[in-house]
Amino acid sequence: MTTRADDDPTRALLRAALRHSGARCAALCAVSTAATAAGLLLPAALGRTLDLLLTHAPAAGRWVWCSAGLMLLLAVLDACASVLAGTVDARATAWLRSAVTGHLLALGPRAADRLGAGDLVARLVGNAAQAGTAPGALAALLAALAGPLGGMVALFLIDPWLAAVFLAGAPVLALLLRAFARDTSECVARYQRVQGRIAAGLAEAVGGFRTIRAAGAEDREAARILRPLPELSRAGHRMWRVQGRAAARAVAVAPLLHLGVVAVAGFLLTRHRLSVGEVLAASRYAVLATGVGVLVGQVSALTRAGAAARRLGEVRALPVPRHGRRALPPGPGRLELRGVTVRRGGRTVLDGVDLVVPGGTTLAVVGRSGTGKSLLAALAGRLTDPDAGEVLLDGVPLPDLTHDDLRDAVAYAFERPALLGRTIEDTIAFGRVAPSPAQVREAARAAHADAFVRRLPDGYATPCAEAPRSGGESQRLGLARAFAHGGRLLILDDALSSLDTVTEHHITRALLTHSPHPTRILMAHRTATASRADAVAWLDGGRVRAVGTHAELWRDDAYRGVFGDEPVEDDGDRAPDEVIAVERPSPDAPAEGARR
Amino acid sequence: MLRRGLRYVRARWWVFVRLAVWSVLEAGQTFLVGYALARALDAGFLTGDAGVGLRWLGLAAGAVVIGAYGTGRVYGVVAALVEPLRDRLVERVVARGVREADGGALSGLTQQVEIARDTVAGLVMVSRSFVFTAVGALVGLFSLDSRLLLVVGPPLLAGVCLFAVTLRPLARRQEAFLVADESLAQDLGAVCPGLRDVTAAGAEQLVAAGLGDRIDAERDAARSLARWAVARVASLAIGGQLPVVLLLASAPWLLGHGVTPGALVGALAYVTQSLLPALQNLVHGLGTSGSRLTVVLRRLLPATTSTPAAVPTPVESGPAAASAPALALTSVTFAYGPASAPVLDRLDLTVPEGGHLAVVGPSGIGKSTLTALVAGLLRPQEGAIRLRGHAVPGAGAAAQRVLIPQEAYVFGGTLAENLAFFRDGPVPEPELLAAAEAVGLTSLLEALGGPTATVEPTALSAGERQLIALTRAYLSSAPLALLDEATCHLDPEAEARAERAFAERAGGTLVVVAHRISSARRADRVLVMDGPRTAYGTHAELARSCAVYRDLVGSWTPTPDGVSSQPPFPL
Repeated sequence: MTTRADDDPTRALLRAALRHSGARCAALCAVSTAATAAGLLLPAALGRTLDLLLTHAPAAGRWVWCSAGLMLLLAVLDACASVLAGTVDARATAWLRSAVTGHLLALGPRAADRLGAGDLVARLVGNAAQAGTAPGALAALLAALAGPLGGMVALFLIDPWLAAVFLAGAPVLALLLRAFARDTSECVARYQRVQGRIAAGLAEAVGGFRTIRAAGAEDREAARILRPLPELSRAGHRMWRVQGRAAARAVAVAPLLHLGVVAVAGFLLTRHRLSVGEVLAASRYAVLATGVGVLVGQVSALTRAGAAARRLGEVRALPVPRHGRRALPPGPGRLELRGVTVRRGGRTVLDGVDLVVPGGTTLAVVGRSGTGKSLLAALAGRLTDPDAGEVLLDGVPLPDLTHDDLRDAVAYAFERPALLGRTIEDTIAFGRVAPSPAQVREAARAAHADAFVRRLPDGYATPCAEAPRSGGESQRLGLARAFAHGGRLLILDDALSSLDTVTEHHITRALLTHSPHPTRILMAHRTATASRADAVAWLDGGRVRAVGTHAELWRDDAYRGVFGDEPVEDDGDRAPDEVIAVERPSPDAPAEGARR
Repeated sequence: MLRRGLRYVRARWWVFVRLAVWSVLEAGQTFLVGYALARALDAGFLTGDAGVGLRWLGLAAGAVVIGAYGTGRVYGVVAALVEPLRDRLVERVVARGVREADGGALSGLTQQVEIARDTVAGLVMVSRSFVFTAVGALVGLFSLDSRLLLVVGPPLLAGVCLFAVTLRPLARRQEAFLVADESLAQDLGAVCPGLRDVTAAGAEQLVAAGLGDRIDAERDAARSLARWAVARVASLAIGGQLPVVLLLASAPWLLGHGVTPGALVGALAYVTQSLLPALQNLVHGLGTSGSRLTVVLRRLLPATTSTPAAVPTPVESGPAAASAPALALTSVTFAYGPASAPVLDRLDLTVPEGGHLAVVGPSGIGKSTLTALVAGLLRPQEGAIRLRGHAVPGAGAAAQRVLIPQEAYVFGGTLAENLAFFRDGPVPEPELLAAAEAVGLTSLLEALGGPTATVEPTALSAGERQLIALTRAYLSSAPLALLDEATCHLDPEAEARAERAFAERAGGTLVVVAHRISSARRADRVLVMDGPRTAYGTHAELARSCAVYRDLVGSWTPTPDGVSSQPPFPL
């Protein structure tokens, strides 16, 4: 059996983060421990000084200086520890983020497929910040432990009775703190429910903003959304009251415990077993010992940091695809799939697919939804790797190619492109090698994006965030991005699906006659697209059912059926009642009449 | 923002009075903790009378319990301060979200408002606690011996002053950190959903470099913030620890002037047990949450810059002439920016009352812009738009039209509430049912369980939502209906039925941004938009004369023979 600790990516990650700030962590450990030690010595020194002062002993002056020095030292050490802790946290967080971001980018879509994009953001923002506190908290843990423990020991050393009183009272403290956590959760949940209702109303209104504005109903709608507000307020008040009750119990515990210790110390004073200075010292040590509550908090923070680090470790545990060292030889862009099998979630999506796309030709891939068309598109340009079989471009298996040669050779356009970059210009130019502004505009023209971009407030310099885009406009920008970067293979994964048929027609015509990419693969939903390709590969049940021209395949009823169950808008190709000149609704909102 | 805050506080002075009343209990506790200790030592333990000492300590314990009760009540009072603030912030956020269709308002509602609420509460608690603890301790010191106050007071004041001085630069750094943190989160929020595109473009290095810069910027901001911890520690050392040293150093003098040993111990207890922790809480609490609150509030309450100026009610053009057309555009020009290409260029258009116009053109050409202009949501740079003689924008014109956009607005509520959206009161049931029947909503209405059924917007399909929006518009009293792809999620039959219903509305005029060519066929007139050029005419005329229109109509691809289920569209 292998030891889990050795190959646990979380531990490896934390160890590496700790190593990255090794010297600082060691310093933090030393400084904070020294500060705690000074803090533990101080009450004794104060007590001794007080005793000497009260007896007017000549040594008192020296002890005053001694106490003052100890306090100064404590302040200096505290300052150093605070700065160190802060910087260690900052460094560790940044290091973790860089490390995981690098890994994430190497993983590419594999990471988002596995963990979800929103979750990845949460991991890199929140979890990384939490995990980043782990090295510092770990380094300061010794000091945090030493404080309350030392306080207890000191009480014991002054008089065992003092420690006994403290220990007897401490469980009460723990119990009352527990009650606090139990009380609040219920009313917090109620508060959040009401808040959720308001948020849902607001989300609806934001979506229906044009209707509301046109009706001039902003105030009315705001009032309607805010209807649950009084209830929210009631829930909020309740939350504070419950919290107040709990807090009242919690704040009383430590002072009462402290008074108990002082009472015993005072009693011992009357028996001359303690001096006044020792009473003072005992009182201070009792306060230090109640720091055990703080320690609990610190330990739970460390646990949280560990849990957060585990979530980062999960990202790091995903294996990164390796790139080879072979350069791509000159060629027409011949793509070959040999016995390609892909399994997803226990299901075989592609099952031994063999397919050849001769260089310089266009292949349309058709099939019912869920037959693995997008997966095939992802395989062709190595956005994912097959579980078995191989994919070759001009005779070279894709994993053997260098990263740069692979990415320069293959261009992608997607159904829903993520448009990265600050401005529209950036988003078209986005890639390994940035094309010139002239190339960007040329590509935009080819993708029929130029006209609408020029109508934006700042044209190509319009920030992406401020450019309102429909699905079709996004697709055209995504196409322009693919056109702006050359390569010998172009893969269109449903990249024309939201375009009106006129624009689609113009773009495919341009694409097939003078595209910079000699070889093209189109994932198609419409007969029009399929009919324009040199050949059609028909995917069915994870296999290539047939390859041929659209006209040849059309004779097969089953092939025609592939197009038949597309949403209403999409059979526009066959019917004269053509869908015109509108952006098609996004695919997740299928056409539908009234419910039967 | 400060002035607004002060106004808020002034309006709630009585809350502060209550806050003070309950806090006095805490101050009393602070007072007794030191005073009772001093008395317990002087009158009890040091004279060998343990009973007296224990009684004094018992008194202190009672004060602790009462003080804790006060603390509990303080929470309730803080609620009276914080909850109205939260209400107000929620109102603002909702109003802004509704007005500006700002999706960011949602995170504002659930996150930033809550941060503001918690920080305000924290600030009030911490500063209140400091003030009353300090008062209790200082009064206690004074009652033990006024000389003690002389020794403790000045360094405490100096510590608080030092902290006050460093508060502003500290807040600046805190804010810089929050800003850096947020822009990192924003960039990651863009990159993570786009990882596929990053890989496909081979742009890993480019993106890594960009993110790396953000990560480093955040780290540097955090480090520079961490360095200011020195200021905090210094304030604490001066305000909380220096008094202890001074008490010890001046002990011979104090003891010589009648200060009892118990009083000295009591003074030390005041400093180490009350003042130092209170100062510590103040320094830590104010330092971070103060600036956090500033940042969050600035985001929630953007300085009231020119909020989209309330549409000036233009001079009403008198009672509309009976002969005025339902819609008239004269020489309308519109562009989205001064430098951008115009979407409409001197467009003239007239639709008579009862007319039925279809607008067609390639996607993204500006058809929705046209409807937004007619509805008065956008204003043309040049030209005039009139609805039955009423100038657009204006209240008179607004009553003339109803706009149904592609994204149907359905809210959580009853179906009847949703359908009465454009009406002042509830719609009589027979009228409602008739409208539902005309538009084609009846089967959905029955499936949902009648007009009083509650509608869950997310449970409806896009087509069902559109049917609700269409029926609602049908029930409005506005004669001109602007259907901006409002039927795109309906099947052709449902679409035809809805359009027919609007065309047959008594006195109703219809402008349809066409989704299918059949919409254009049903219309009396067709407007073809193709960049700045437009063509206008009947379907037959345009099919003859307009190449773009022919292209639109005939752009379906001939499929292999025998497939077309319907006869080709006659050109």
